Amino acid sequence: MAAWRLQRLTGLLLLVYLFLHVRTVHQLSQGPAAFNEAMAFFRHPVFKLLEIGLLGVVILHALNGVRITLIDLGIGHRRQARLFWILSVGAGGLLFLAGAIPMFLFSVLKL
Amino acid sequence: MNAVQWYLQRITGGLLIVLLAAHFWVEHFLTEPLRRGELTYQALLPRIANPWWQAVDIAFLLVALYHGLNGVRNILLDYDRISRRAARAATTVLILAGFLWAWWGIEAFRNLR
Amino acid sequence: MNPYLFRILRSPSRTDIFQVSLEERMTVLDALFSIRQERDPTLAFRCSCRVGMCGTCAMSVNGTARLACRTRVVTLKSKTVTVAPLPNLPVIRDLVVSLDPFFEQWKRVLPALHPREPAAKDLARIPADSPYARQTPRKRDCITCGACFSACGVRGTNRGYLGPAAINKAFLRLLDPRDGAATQRLDVLNDEYSGLWRCHTQFNCTEVCPKGIDLTDTITRLKRAMLAPGRWLAR
Repeated sequence: MAAWRLQRLTGLLLLVYLFLHVRTVHQLSQGPAAFNEAMAFFRHPVFKLLEIGLLGVVILHALNGVRITLIDLGIGHRRQARLFWILSVGAGGLLFLAGAIPMFLFSVLKL
Repeated sequence: MNAVQWYLQRITGGLLIVLLAAHFWVEHFLTEPLRRGELTYQALLPRIANPWWQAVDIAFLLVALYHGLNGVRNILLDYDRISRRAARAATTVLILAGFLWAWWGIEAFRNLR
Repeated sequence: MNPYLFRILRSPSRTDIFQVSLEERMTVLDALFSIRQERDPTLAFRCSCRVGMCGTCAMSVNGTARLACRTRVVTLKSKTVTVAPLPNLPVIRDLVVSLDPFFEQWKRVLPALHPREPAAKDLARIPADSPYARQTPRKRDCITCGACFSACGVRGTNRGYLGPAAINKAFLRLLDPRDGAATQRLDVLNDEYSGLWRCHTQFNCTEVCPKGIDLTDTITRLKRAMLAPGRWLAR
């Protein structure tokens, strides 16, 4: 049940992100000066933290999606709950840390 | 038709994982300035002006829009307080939104040249 | 004899609490009988066979839909037992719910056999290697208790959804070589607002089925088969 709720929540969040992202790319068309100014805004540490959050959201949604597809193929029914925790949360957590720690160190703490 | 949509949601999901990985790699690791986090117009322009890369990005957007908006449609279908007529109307709105959104994304590249 | 605290949610505004002494092998149903006979004769609940065959005593025990007669209190690992009527179904009184919504959906899939050859005189033969014989042995034990139906998260927001039991029944009939109503059943299953596509593999149904039927498996098999339903229609 939690897996389903999380999948929907992360999905909606990603749609919102997609909207913002396309909007940002549009700013490219305003020319180099306007674009670089917009990019400066994205260098702010709070924004970098949001990016790390985005990484987590993507990983959760993608790995849980893989789990759902496996289940739809008939694989892993007996272990489905464990699959969620091991695959989506466990492996996902590891992937997340692999990305988030360097991002945090370089972009937020500016080491 | 419903079976096809169910199937496509999974296929587009898998495609998105691959496309996202490629997109991320190209945006953040392909060239040296990007690896340093220098997301400037000058650093991005060579790749973004290339029509082949634009095609990949647009494909990514279209697949993501199908997957995401179909997902929203599925959420709506799960609420019986939304009548069938309202659900049909919502589907039309979502399809329209999809086309507009896709056009909006493609426009971003066209204004570059 | 061990003391247990039974909290009975008889209505949204009334929770009765009873201290009951039970032996180790006693069930929730035993406790309910004890309460009814010795403490409060007005407590309403349904039961029949007492051995998990009829499906009548399904109710919510410590948050999960279970058969009261098959739930030994010692397996609950708690001295406090909260009993409530099955969720997502209209309550008649106390622990008694109406299964009308369940059977409304049940009837939609034409649960009875619609023989392809009603005038046939010979006995039907179902070979051991046929799809029916191979795929349905663990799917036939449904006792229509309603546990899966009430536990389903999708039903919580979509009262029109068929539900796992009805879909499982349709599956059995679709695979049954004697049956001839595949087209009608497939149409019902395929409805995008209320059919099997509303299932989102939450697994609530499989977790609560007292007969151990893997309902999610049935539904996902059907979903896969819906890509090419011709094989059922061609029979």
